[in-house]
Amino acid sequence: MTPDLTTLQPLRPTLYRLAADGRSLDFLFAQCPQCRQLSFPANAPGCMHCGHAIDASAQVARPGGGTLLEYVTLHVAMVPGLSAPSIAGDIRIAEQVVEEGVIGVADESLLAPGMALRAIAVPLPSGEHYGCHFVPAGAQGATA
Amino acid sequence: MSGGNWLAGNGGVYVVGIGLHPYQFPSDTPYTQLGLTAVRAALADAGLAWKQVQAAYVGTTSIGMAAGRVMLRHLGSTGLAVTQVENASASGSFAFRQACMEVAHGISDVVLAMGVDKHGDGRRAANKDGLERLSDTATIPAVKFALMARSYLREHGGGMESMAKVAVKNHGNAALNPYAQFRKPRTLEQVLASPRVAGDLTVQQCCPRGEGAAAVLLVSGQALARLGLDPARCVRVHASAASSERDETRYGEGPIDLVRDSARAALEQAGIGATELDLLELHDAFSVEELLYSEAVGVCQPGEGAAYLERGDSRIGGRCAINASGGLIGMGHPLGPTGIGQVAEIVRQIRGEAEGRQHPAARWGMAHMIGLGSVAIAHVLGGTARC
Repeated sequence: MTPDLTTLQPLRPTLYRLAADGRSLDFLFAQCPQCRQLSFPANAPGCMHCGHAIDASAQVARPGGGTLLEYVTLHVAMVPGLSAPSIAGDIRIAEQVVEEGVIGVADESLLAPGMALRAIAVPLPSGEHYGCHFVPAGAQGATA
Repeated sequence: MSGGNWLAGNGGVYVVGIGLHPYQFPSDTPYTQLGLTAVRAALADAGLAWKQVQAAYVGTTSIGMAAGRVMLRHLGSTGLAVTQVENASASGSFAFRQACMEVAHGISDVVLAMGVDKHGDGRRAANKDGLERLSDTATIPAVKFALMARSYLREHGGGMESMAKVAVKNHGNAALNPYAQFRKPRTLEQVLASPRVAGDLTVQQCCPRGEGAAAVLLVSGQALARLGLDPARCVRVHASAASSERDETRYGEGPIDLVRDSARAALEQAGIGATELDLLELHDAFSVEELLYSEAVGVCQPGEGAAYLERGDSRIGGRCAINASGGLIGMGHPLGPTGIGQVAEIVRQIRGEAEGRQHPAARWGMAHMIGLGSVAIAHVLGGTARC
């Protein structure tokens, strides 16, 4: 049974929060007051495009997700808390903003470059937090 | 030599002595012992005494504050200037560049550039910038390069074998290098059958963790005769170019643009074309990098990296020997020493002293490094003081 995610806290509160549907994630960007482009994360001390100083007033939330650019299977556990095998990918989450994320599918055969992904909350073993996985847009859940 | 080349100052900059402590797996050997072995070897190679060295630049990433002074005092407290340089994988390369500047600008005539490192805890500034990341793997180079490798193979239609052959060549070169961490040749079957790490990269296509030291002595052209040095063993530095990451507008092209720009700047400074290079030591921490960067440097055409390797053009005795030392995959990548070790290999080859792995008629060589995929540096060396 899927736990009530609204009772959990985001593991990375500066990056995302639970969306209104209680399962998807909204990403927290900063919209530069100078060039109007989105930067990620929102608390970066300067716009990633033009270098203009940005502060908390520039924060905007957008539905979390993007376009899958590339992906690979990680065959060894490279960081604590990430079991092997798992899948990592580069995702374009906004124009000229590419972030690496965990792809929550069973194997690479379910993926293809250019496919749309959405970010969902996944409960973590601690029982207190949820993390972020990307799944194919339209998928109901994550496997990892 | 172009007239505007700052490296022409003070009669030019020459590498007159080289020395290494073999790269090895992490051990209890103190870094002082690693480093002093390399420096003493460089002094002996040059025929210089420690008291003649006026300044030292020490590249290191993981030892700690003021490692240079703590180590070098055992050679005698001569009062020389000591500067520690850290720039990730390129730390030694940047120490070398600083030493070149000091000589070329006439501040000193005899300068030591060295790298020494122990395997550290991997603490990185990128993990301390106060910013969270969607994935904890985002700052792990193996993942980044596995993603680049997948894109390369997807775009060029090559199989995993095409990049595994980089490891076969470089392990083979390393087997001939007494300073290399790995001394065993590997077959294609062995490379492909070794455990997978990330994506299509197997463990034998990834550089090992390790420690070691490398040292070179730089002398101004003005001082060569006064110091009684053998001009046939003094190899000239013709170019030093450094850069950092630009805004990435094309996905995946950032590191490649970085290599291309820094290599092009160095070649222009040296006044030669990429295809004139006889030797190229480059950052092959992961096998796919050699394919990507051989194209970016320009020794082969874009998209031809795998074919260049397949034809044998990058082997010792080919058109341009790439990573004749064994590269990071075979010789090892102890970080601080790596860039200095590249320079030492090129000097050894240009002198004609690379016994067992000598590239014939080697005249021009480039040492190219990147640091954490975001800083790049290229040096071009060529000819001796007798030429």
